[in-house]
Amino acid sequence: MKMGMSKYREIARTYLKMQLAWRADVAFNMVFTVSKIIFAYLLWGMIFREREMVAGFTLYGMLSYYIVSSFLSQLDMSAGISEEISSRIRNGAFSNYMVLPVSIEGYFTAMETGVALFYLGFDFAAAAVWVFVFRIEFAVTHHFFIVMCAMIMALMGLFFMVQLNYFLGILTLKYKEISTFLMIKNNLMLLVTGGVVPLALFPEAFISVMKLLPFYYVTYLPAMLFTGGCEEEAVRGIVVLAFWCLVMQAVITVIWRRYRKKYDGVGI
Amino acid sequence: MMGKIKRYIKVLRELVRIRFQNLMMFRLGFFGPFFVDGSLFAVQLVVFDAVYSNVDRIGSWGRGEMILFIGTFSFINAVNMVIYFFGVNDIPAKIKSGQMDLYLTKPISPLFYITLERINPGSVPLVLMSICIIVYGAKDLGIAISGGKLAGYLIWLVFMIVLYYEMEIIIRSVPFYLVSNAKLEQLEEAGIDLCMKLPGIAFYGIYKLIFYCILPYGIMATLPVQTLLGEMSLCKAVHGLAIFMIFTGITMFIWKKGVRHYNSASS
Repeated sequence: MKMGMSKYREIARTYLKMQLAWRADVAFNMVFTVSKIIFAYLLWGMIFREREMVAGFTLYGMLSYYIVSSFLSQLDMSAGISEEISSRIRNGAFSNYMVLPVSIEGYFTAMETGVALFYLGFDFAAAAVWVFVFRIEFAVTHHFFIVMCAMIMALMGLFFMVQLNYFLGILTLKYKEISTFLMIKNNLMLLVTGGVVPLALFPEAFISVMKLLPFYYVTYLPAMLFTGGCEEEAVRGIVVLAFWCLVMQAVITVIWRRYRKKYDGVGI
Repeated sequence: MMGKIKRYIKVLRELVRIRFQNLMMFRLGFFGPFFVDGSLFAVQLVVFDAVYSNVDRIGSWGRGEMILFIGTFSFINAVNMVIYFFGVNDIPAKIKSGQMDLYLTKPISPLFYITLERINPGSVPLVLMSICIIVYGAKDLGIAISGGKLAGYLIWLVFMIVLYYEMEIIIRSVPFYLVSNAKLEQLEEAGIDLCMKLPGIAFYGIYKLIFYCILPYGIMATLPVQTLLGEMSLCKAVHGLAIFMIFTGITMFIWKKGVRHYNSASS
């Protein structure tokens, strides 16, 4: 068990070190987090000129939400997993992963962990800089329990996204070409995770449906919890997301067993 | 002159025919760009519908104006996808691999050839969808649109479609001079992403300078919509035309200098 974990730790460490080779990427990643903040600052700045509250948010509550949600979505770099798996299957190089003495899903989880750990500090620094630059009176919860719940949920959300993208990637074994689908998925994910606007702005019926799905708990609810909203949903959120992680794991296992035999290692 | 135009039309016809042949080989990907960009603008509509269910106006614009704005940006993007995006997008790869040689030795303008060699008819439904959004926005507004306003709108649309094209050319000509333009493409993506969500009326101060003058994505859908709404002033029109002409000059300069700077493979 200990030996098994050390292999994944080594993968995570390798990917963490690899990020150092792309220092310009790190700088640009930090700078580009600002586009979401500028969007929020200009849009909501204009709206809040004529009112003090919108869907339970004050201006600074809203901007704080964008800062946290931008921070969390920057940490999630798992979209690359499905693209990597898909292209490897298509060009026959997926064998490189199959011969490794580790679980492929575990490999990608460790990879994501290494990359996320590297960017954690930088993204946090970027968020702090934007709070200072835009002079945001940052709204944050003071309940330790809620902060812990939000952190657990954010971690589970990152893991769920790895699972989801791994699942979509291995679908290439069956469907051959999924790049269009992946791009559509990325567009829709922005909406359902509350990446463009908080889900609280949507009609009650829509929110009720979203609460049954995992995407509500990936970015939106942790961001709300960190900024002092939706505190009554904290524990239920962890339970629902844990349930979805288990479901996704079961689906991955079934799909992998069924489709891996279709891989012939010569490309499509 | 007429002979030259005829030759270019003949070349264009051949490029379209060859492109159709290629696309038919990969039928699954035919409507891919339509679904990808269609979903993007559908998300935009849903998002602003949610915002407008909580507020009456964003600045001076209500729901109808915003739908018109989203439809117009979608239309500009759709024309880009149908006519030139896939051709222009390949310019950096062609410069780096030395493939540009093939275009420079052809007896027609290399930019004309590259621009139109990968037209994408699969995005035509996106043009139709955009027109539907624009018509829906105009109906929601309930305003009478005169022939003059409509003509002004269409003229600005043409200018802005060309400006969008010029921005793509400028950014993708950078590999003539530098090893990579990847970061500039990221910057372009971030600028477009921001300006397709925010109408130009939202910008002020430094943001207005950036998105009206340096990365002029902020005016692209805003000026046509303002013309249709009767919000266009002489000052705005002069600014729009000046930006269009300046960027046309920059594009021609960068492209011509770039071609001269090109040293074949490993440029």
